[in-house]
Amino acid sequence: MDFPEGKLELREMQRLEGHSDRVWSLAWNPASGTAGVPAMLASCSGDKTARIWQQGPSGSFDCMAVLEDTHTRTVRSCAWSPCGKLLATASFDATTAIWEQIGSDFECVSTLEGHENEVKCVSWNASGSLIATCGRDKSVWIWEMQSGKEFECVSVLQGHTQDVKMVQWHPFIDVLVSVSYDNTIKVWAEDGDDDWHCVQTIGEACSGHSSTVWALSFNEGGDRMVTCSDDLTLKIWNTSGNPSESTGDGYGPWKHVHTLSGSHDRTIFSVNWSREGVIASGAADDAICLFVESKEKMIDEPFYTKLMKKEKAHAMDVNSVQWNPKNPRVLASGSDDGIIKVWELAERSG
Amino acid sequence: MSEKFSATLRLTDLNDFIAPSQDCIVSLKKFKPKSEKPENQEKFNVFSKTTSPTEAVKISLKDCLACSGCITSAETVMLEKQSLDEFLSQLDSDKAVIVSLSPQSRASLAAYFDLSPAQVFRKLTAMFKSIGVKAVYDTSCSRDLTLVEVCNEFISRYRQRQLNSGKVRGQELPMISSACPGWICYAEKTLGSYILPYISSVKSPQQAIGAAIKHHLSQKIGVLPDKVYHVTVMPCYDKKLEAARDDFVFSTGGEGENDHDASGMKIAEVDSVLTSGEVLDLIHSKSIDFKALAEAPLDKMLTNVDEDGNLYGVSGGSGGYAETVFQHAAKTLFGKEIEGPLNFKTVRNSDFREVTLEVEGTEVLKFALCYGFRNLQNIVRKIKIGKCDYHFLEVMACPSGCLNGGGQIKPKTGQSAKDLIQRLEDVYMQDVSIANPLKNPIVKSLYDEWLEEPGSEKAKRYIHTEYHPMVKSIASELINW
Repeated sequence: MDFPEGKLELREMQRLEGHSDRVWSLAWNPASGTAGVPAMLASCSGDKTARIWQQGPSGSFDCMAVLEDTHTRTVRSCAWSPCGKLLATASFDATTAIWEQIGSDFECVSTLEGHENEVKCVSWNASGSLIATCGRDKSVWIWEMQSGKEFECVSVLQGHTQDVKMVQWHPFIDVLVSVSYDNTIKVWAEDGDDDWHCVQTIGEACSGHSSTVWALSFNEGGDRMVTCSDDLTLKIWNTSGNPSESTGDGYGPWKHVHTLSGSHDRTIFSVNWSREGVIASGAADDAICLFVESKEKMIDEPFYTKLMKKEKAHAMDVNSVQWNPKNPRVLASGSDDGIIKVWELAERSG
Repeated sequence: MSEKFSATLRLTDLNDFIAPSQDCIVSLKKFKPKSEKPENQEKFNVFSKTTSPTEAVKISLKDCLACSGCITSAETVMLEKQSLDEFLSQLDSDKAVIVSLSPQSRASLAAYFDLSPAQVFRKLTAMFKSIGVKAVYDTSCSRDLTLVEVCNEFISRYRQRQLNSGKVRGQELPMISSACPGWICYAEKTLGSYILPYISSVKSPQQAIGAAIKHHLSQKIGVLPDKVYHVTVMPCYDKKLEAARDDFVFSTGGEGENDHDASGMKIAEVDSVLTSGEVLDLIHSKSIDFKALAEAPLDKMLTNVDEDGNLYGVSGGSGGYAETVFQHAAKTLFGKEIEGPLNFKTVRNSDFREVTLEVEGTEVLKFALCYGFRNLQNIVRKIKIGKCDYHFLEVMACPSGCLNGGGQIKPKTGQSAKDLIQRLEDVYMQDVSIANPLKNPIVKSLYDEWLEEPGSEKAKRYIHTEYHPMVKSIASELINW
């Protein structure tokens, strides 16, 4: 895919209004947006609710459901199961709720309790059998779905020394990555004896971040990941081993390949890698930036360049950017201004 | 918080920068918060920032227990130094110093020095006496006392539930063991009032031997309780917190002993706790060739040792609670004699195992061992939603239970943690014969001379305790609006 610099723009398609407080996180339903299933986006907010937005025949999104009266504090993160039938929401009320779509309604079918306090993020593994959560209690929890949508805790991981901001499963193997206020990135894997262990810690000494790491995202191939930080950089990581052939110790460690700096001048809160290879970032400078791998192979190492910066994408901090997995030219963003925007990456008109 | 405390206890550590009410009020660590997005302020930011302390403050264990905050690693270091130094300084005082040794610590030292538990016990007795300790006892002995009380409590809870069937469901079962201080701390601080009624009211073996020494033995040997300095040797750091609980401190003065008499002198059942590792440090610091040390005879008054000098006790590295209660309940309630060791079936992992008894096709007893935080977490959730069908749970905060306690001697170079656990399990009962606690002659004489009978008023007063839900401060409630 060619992305000529200067010829593309992020065109605002729609503003989704409804949340009465800051929008924290967004998630596209992975089973939607194809073959007659209208695209579906979940959002969650400081207003203690999550909202489900569905694309209508006209192409515009409407709010089809408000998930309320369950969480008693901010809903910080939301994630769809791979089958798209279940939505997990993580809240500052120390719980994670599991919602099931029944007709056009969403019902809370299970609650995961255990974190000491604020849960910051929730993520499903590729098969949908495991959920990871993390939070202010510095721990990462792994839960396994049992019959009847019951969840059992399979591990409580306490490697981080501060608030854990985000957890994300690898796109197809059961390897988990967490990022934290302690400035580190940690990689977790099962040890073959029914428990989980940290297999790699990436700190500042290994070309890691020098301040809070807020988010991470994998590329489609699962051999690279990108992290973003309060140190105003994005970092690209590469794994030499083939993570899809992870048997026993076949897991290859992640190595730093590139640092993107100078694009945002405030904390970078969110990063997301599109199926087509475009990295989007959202930051406290109210802007969204897009990056791609440079075609010019001047050096052996992969090299990424900024495609564009959308200034004033929102009126306030951009907390979440998410590419639509089915239509990789569509980006959603959520902000402290309480608004969700749907953007199209398109050729500059005129 | 130091990694030496159990993972369960560490999870209750809160030291973020967010709600001032939850900051450690007496932190030794100077924590400089980064400027950051006010993630947790939400809409009701009514708190003014507290000024951070600039000078180091001394924290007592009681401060920590009273707080919903954390224990810093700096403080743990202080705590360790305190325990050993204080113990050594007491040897020069006018107090009679008594040491009570746990069987898990015995096993830890036995594995380290490649000796048997009985050899370690006799050598430690010799070593402690050479530095001025008056007596060395055995917490397997007080554990047998607690096991008798736990058996008695279980039978009465089980019968109570049968009486209540059809009525509103009570909170009698499952009964949860109470010997693990990490679990008790987690239950009180985090889980709160719903879980506490399920926990056995019987004290841990550490506190039971403390009560026996300070309330009974001291009278018997004619020494005032305040002239006894009692140290336990434990596999566990959390035991230090347990010993410092207000529930385990009593007052003397006036007529007899009165727990609520403020005029008297405050006396702790256990004055300080040394871990297995700290005892090893002591051996090293005194340059003692431990393996070559002569063996001294054991003090029999509160030690599970028979006439021939052989040790005895229950099997099970975490105290054998589930096994002992299961056998007793099967016999008492259903007339079934069940020979040990019981065949516990692995449920989810080796730290979650269960055993059941069927009578005429009905499951009448269902017990489980539940070790480590993840298993504990699952069982607690089941209890909360009313889906726990166990009658008894032996809960321990550490994976693999007490033999793997945070105070145990660390693996040697080249030894994996798993290898060490296996070694400890092998050595634990190496020259210790299995004996039924209900037939323990020392326990029998403790009842005869002191406690009367299991579950008596005196037993309740001295061998049982209470749990207290941690009341969250008003400020921390406010943030939940």
